Amino acid sequence: MTDPILIADSIDVRFGDFQALSGFSLSVQPGTIHALIGPNGAGKTTLFNALTGARKPSGGRIVFDGHAVTRTSVHRRVHYGMSRSFQVTALFAALTVAENLRLAVQARYASEGWIFWRSPHRRHDIRDEVDALLAETFLTDRADTRTGDLSHGGQRSLEIGMALAGRPKLIFLDEPLAGMGIDDVHRTKGLIDSLRSRMAVLLIEHNMSVVLDISDRITVMAAGRKIAEDIPAKIRTDPAVRTAYLGSTA
Amino acid sequence: MHATERFPNLATAIVLAALVVLPFTVPATLASQIAIFATGALSVVLLLGAVGLLSFGQGLYLGVGAYVCGILVRDAGIGLIPALLVASLSGAVLAGLLGSVIVRRHGVYFVMLTLAFAQMGYFVVLAFKSVTGGENGLSGLPRQFDILGLSIADPLSMYGFMAGAFFLVFLLVQRVIASPFGSVLAAIRENEPRSEALGYPVARYKTAAVALAGGIAGLAGGLHVIFLGFVPPSDIELEMSQRLLVIALIGGIGSPGGALIGSAFYTIVSEALSEIWPRWMALIALLLIGLVLFLPGGLWSAGRRISALFERKIAHD
Repeated sequence: MTDPILIADSIDVRFGDFQALSGFSLSVQPGTIHALIGPNGAGKTTLFNALTGARKPSGGRIVFDGHAVTRTSVHRRVHYGMSRSFQVTALFAALTVAENLRLAVQARYASEGWIFWRSPHRRHDIRDEVDALLAETFLTDRADTRTGDLSHGGQRSLEIGMALAGRPKLIFLDEPLAGMGIDDVHRTKGLIDSLRSRMAVLLIEHNMSVVLDISDRITVMAAGRKIAEDIPAKIRTDPAVRTAYLGSTA
Repeated sequence: MHATERFPNLATAIVLAALVVLPFTVPATLASQIAIFATGALSVVLLLGAVGLLSFGQGLYLGVGAYVCGILVRDAGIGLIPALLVASLSGAVLAGLLGSVIVRRHGVYFVMLTLAFAQMGYFVVLAFKSVTGGENGLSGLPRQFDILGLSIADPLSMYGFMAGAFFLVFLLVQRVIASPFGSVLAAIRENEPRSEALGYPVARYKTAAVALAGGIAGLAGGLHVIFLGFVPPSDIELEMSQRLLVIALIGGIGSPGGALIGSAFYTIVSEALSEIWPRWMALIALLLIGLVLFLPGGLWSAGRRISALFERKIAHD
């Protein structure tokens, strides 16, 4: 077995008196799709926030690609190769779709953002990369649309595109399919499935048929703890999982 | 979006034309003041328009630039240009230092910190009376300067210098807004946590913008004392911060061209009204209320709306 790209060891997160995550451990293998499932309030997004640095854990240790990142800032983790999409769409609404992606690509070149004496459009390599991302997220004909005017499904796709622009080693996708129409779900599922060849994927998703279909490994959470972790076929039949989660929806 | 950000553009031509026409429409001394306060207002346009940071304290950096420039040309005997550069640099360094602390707070706390530091500046000036002249300010500055063999003594040559300085800063601000750096500032304005999540060190970018704006305000302060021939303590009072903010809002923060229109409007109106009615500020306040309610983009956006109407008409014909 290769070394995990991400190791989280005994992560604790508290909100006041509420223990959102207690002693949570997780490891993600490179080149795999690893899904996190569990009922609402299980702490999935909290775990994402802790792992990506948006919320510092009160206890535990996070190692990413050989770097100890437990206390590292969000932007530094991005440069190590983490990148995320958001559950609640968080885009630059007043800017165009292409400009959103351009900003995301530009962020990877640490010095480019400090250049103040010329236009951003001189960088043809960045523009080509934006074009490729537009195509990959099915947004090419929406490139000049103001992002706030994009359909919900389009915004969800752009969320994924923004995260991909960082060329991450591990991408965190928080409910990428939520609220998408059936066609978009199908296309986006194919896109996520194809990412495996380039990066590891940590996925929060409620669409069980998709999760069971594309994941290499599934971790089931409830009330801030891990209750099971296995390959999809085993998770499907795990009695504890059925009671805690699948039972309520099946 | 891209069309309006192109550089140099129509706005550049309009601003240049306005600068040329200005001394033939109003007295040259008034025109100089317009150019000086327009320069100061550019620092507000940069912060509020490009990054979305509301600073109530740009007067502090203008005041620091004023005192530094005043002391340098009076006591150190260095030339006009080096004195202005050092004045600008002092504004930038101070703003960078304070900014690195202030930018870590958001919203109303950010505003309160800018206000508190600005207020502190005034009391520092009063406390160090031997250096700053206290409430009397600094007088005895030279009234004549030479740059590259050209003499600056009469009101018109003075205006030429002030207008040139404003135009350079205007070009700089325009250039910065339409650069990769400016695009990051716009991203921070639109969605700060997302910018951080993309990998931009947001606090560092905001500090850089605050320092740049401080440098611009510092330069405006230097220009003001060169024009006046003395350093008035009012340059570092809270009222100066307020004036720069009001000018920027009247002109419109969406474009650096707004600073010039706002300054022209404010300076001319205050000059005309202060002679007939000492409470003229009340009218400025009323005007500001009207603008906020009916023309949030400021006077500059009125021009843009009219030109849009005009273009539509041409398209119809």
